[in-house]
Amino acid sequence: MTLEIFRIDDRLVHGQVVVGWGQPCSLGFLVLVDDEVARSEWEKELYRMGVPPEMEIVFDSVESAVARLAGYRADARAGMLLTGDIDTMARLVAAAPDIRTVTVGGVHHKPGRVPRSRYVFLTPAEEARLLELAAGGVTVVAQDVPQAAATPLEVMLRGEGPT
Amino acid sequence: MNAPVAAPHLPLRVRAAMLLRLFAIQGVWNYETMVGNGIAFALEPALRRLPGGHTGDRFRAAMARHSGYFNAHPYLASVAVGALARAELDGVPDAQIERFRVAAPGPLGSVGDRLVWAGWVPFSSAVALLAFGLGMSPAGVVLVFLGTYNVLHLGLRIWGLHAGWTRGLGVASALANPVLRQGPAHVARATALIAGVALPVAADGIIGSGRAVLGGVLAAVAAGAVMVTLLHGRIEGWRVATFALAAFVLYAMVR
Repeated sequence: MTLEIFRIDDRLVHGQVVVGWGQPCSLGFLVLVDDEVARSEWEKELYRMGVPPEMEIVFDSVESAVARLAGYRADARAGMLLTGDIDTMARLVAAAPDIRTVTVGGVHHKPGRVPRSRYVFLTPAEEARLLELAAGGVTVVAQDVPQAAATPLEVMLRGEGPT
Repeated sequence: MNAPVAAPHLPLRVRAAMLLRLFAIQGVWNYETMVGNGIAFALEPALRRLPGGHTGDRFRAAMARHSGYFNAHPYLASVAVGALARAELDGVPDAQIERFRVAAPGPLGSVGDRLVWAGWVPFSSAVALLAFGLGMSPAGVVLVFLGTYNVLHLGLRIWGLHAGWTRGLGVASALANPVLRQGPAHVARATALIAGVALPVAADGIIGSGRAVLGGVLAAVAAGAVMVTLLHGRIEGWRVATFALAAFVLYAMVR
């Protein structure tokens, strides 16, 4: 067990993460990477209340996450790293190139975004960012829960992902 | 987040209107805004009290803001509705409200999913199954299920709206309530205990003294074992258990 799942999800900590992934994968810890949340005590308190007592949650900026990544990987427990947007994950991957797989778990509707699946809506700039990640050798898939099949990036961008 | 101050007065009829509207929070659910429109609908009675009333600029801006994307557990969305109503009427800056709208849904969804979908639904099903096993009529079994389920359902909606209004954007402390934090673990243990008692009692009730359908029951058990093996790792256990319990009760009612 180690930190194996690198997930982009604009909801960060929520039911799919804690119940959907947490129970079948026996997640012992979550690493929430967000520069703004890392500076905000009330937001950290809110997210702490979203995880069960037996699950640890730690908060990092991109910079501190890169510094601690080796420690997270050495953890005996199963863990998941979460970012709330594609840009944050891309910055993390750029600084920690040993991240080989990124899962898009939920990027929801906002003005300017186009639906690519029922839980992934992307702007052209966000699509380009994901393609950059893939071009750099990272496997990018869309998968909301572990029971669902992982949809490859190119399939998702054709709009042929889960609907 | 500032320390909580005493909540201003909100007339009972406004609270009642908000509570009633919370029952329709998923009425226009969609993949783009999730329950966003429902949040705005439930907030609307409180937002009418903004300066300028329901034709004022602040009312319109607030309704537009709260109609946007918001994804939370439908019962615990009441916490957000209460907190957002308080924030709007207190004149909290828009940026802070927007930040709360981004941060709150996930934890509310997580708490609600663990407590209700993964905890209370199986618990209510097990209680209903036990009632069936003890000889209660089909209508009685349904009433036991609905009664048990709605104790928590209604309680969460009422408590959530009050907690949100009382604490405003500092509502995280309310989520530290032991019912929400430790409740799911206790409910899971209670469900296991009740199901352990209810399953053999209910099976005995179906098979009966003549053992006329013993073969059918054994075949169903074997088929269930194969299904669980095939689905292992691909579906959550509580979904299988809830489906099996529901099928069990339905069969007993229609046979």
